[in-house]
Amino acid sequence: MTLNEKDYMDRYIYQVIRRLPKAQRDEVRMELEELISDMYADKGSMEEVLTQLGNPAEFAKQYQNGQQYLIGSEYFETYLWFVKIVLICAAVPILVISLVNAIGEMPAASWNAASVIIRAIVDGLTAGITDALLSCISAFGAVTLIFAVMERKKIQLEMKKAEKWSVEKLSEDRKTAESRWTPKFLEPVPDKKALISRGDSIVGIVFIVVFCVLLIFSPHFFAAIITEDKTVTTVPIFNLEQWGTILPVFILSLLIGLADEVLRLVVGVYCKLVMISNVVCGIIQIVLSAVVLKVLPLWNPNFVTDLERTLGDKANSGAEFLTRWNADMVSNGFLAFIIVITLLEIGVTVYKTFRYGASVKKEMTD
Amino acid sequence: MGEEKDLLSALLLELRRGTLTISVLSQLKEPKYGYALVQSMEEKGVAIDPNTLYPLLRRLESQGLLESKWETSSTKPRKYYQRTEYGTEIYKQLKTYWKNLSAGMERLLREEEV
Repeated sequence: MTLNEKDYMDRYIYQVIRRLPKAQRDEVRMELEELISDMYADKGSMEEVLTQLGNPAEFAKQYQNGQQYLIGSEYFETYLWFVKIVLICAAVPILVISLVNAIGEMPAASWNAASVIIRAIVDGLTAGITDALLSCISAFGAVTLIFAVMERKKIQLEMKKAEKWSVEKLSEDRKTAESRWTPKFLEPVPDKKALISRGDSIVGIVFIVVFCVLLIFSPHFFAAIITEDKTVTTVPIFNLEQWGTILPVFILSLLIGLADEVLRLVVGVYCKLVMISNVVCGIIQIVLSAVVLKVLPLWNPNFVTDLERTLGDKANSGAEFLTRWNADMVSNGFLAFIIVITLLEIGVTVYKTFRYGASVKKEMTD
Repeated sequence: MGEEKDLLSALLLELRRGTLTISVLSQLKEPKYGYALVQSMEEKGVAIDPNTLYPLLRRLESQGLLESKWETSSTKPRKYYQRTEYGTEIYKQLKTYWKNLSAGMERLLREEEV
């Protein structure tokens, strides 16, 4: 074997083993060295030997048994649909806001100058596309993470089920410890009213994602906007100085809501699992909302004074509103609203689960 | 034409895949190393690609049907594979099944020729 031929052998082996799990590499390398040198001794040409062995990628594939994937075929279609919705929701509002911001920030005097307008639009678009890309990547990551976790959990769940069956089998007749499938394991076809459709979830998903994106990228968008003599002033409602501590709690709460929606769609039918997830997520969301609204300094403490200063002499017209602005009351109002909505959703889920749900119905007829 | 050829080779691959395990098990009563196995099988008219055989040997070993030993006394280290007891037991059952299957197939195909 010439040096050149040895080099080709090493290259080939490297291309195979780099695609294998680390633990297997050393041994497969030795096997392949044995094989290739045997074949070389037989045929006398390294080129012929490697050509016969074929593409190293294909060779490596033969070594890989067992499926390796992040999201399996069972969830893949739902996952794709979800990603599409989430990406659209993450990108569109940001682009719109960036454009609005850019145009809003233009000097009022130059409204007519076309070049200034174009410049502002270009600036807005550039900033918008950057932010949109960032938010799309985060949204994609979040959804993928949720689905990947569910995929892993599903495998655990199925393993547990198999265990349970084998234990039941064991107590029924002690001959086989093996879990064997029988038609008894067939779950009844779910009632049509128990099915969870994508249409049911879409409003929730869009709301969650859009709200998330706005809170991350444009918290200043939630503001009182005052136009006076062609100058636009905004007074933010939220406490932007403390935003770094408030935002994560907000986002966590929204992500938990999103995870719940993913689970509903993936399971696709009202059952115990969906109900438990809905109740647990709902309670966590209520608690987190209470933290955001009652514990954290959510509201801009200077909202009223800033607004009064901006309005100046016009303050009289808004005075009635301003005297009524009370951060505590607003917090309580929102919290009450969130609790009512969440409880309503939980109520509907619990009702549908007990009325039409898959496993519950089965247990009742058993 | 290309499509037809692809389909045929895919079908052949599927047909062969199941027979490989039993053919390999049949040859490993005595220890053999990989390429010797490739050559002896080719001589007997059941050719197997090395890039199919080597991964298959590893798989059968991990399933407990084969065991392996590195022979390092000669200048060139070689890995020898041999059937385990369990492998022999499984092989016997596969063999019985195969004989029934091929007899049945024989009848089916003869019917077509008449």
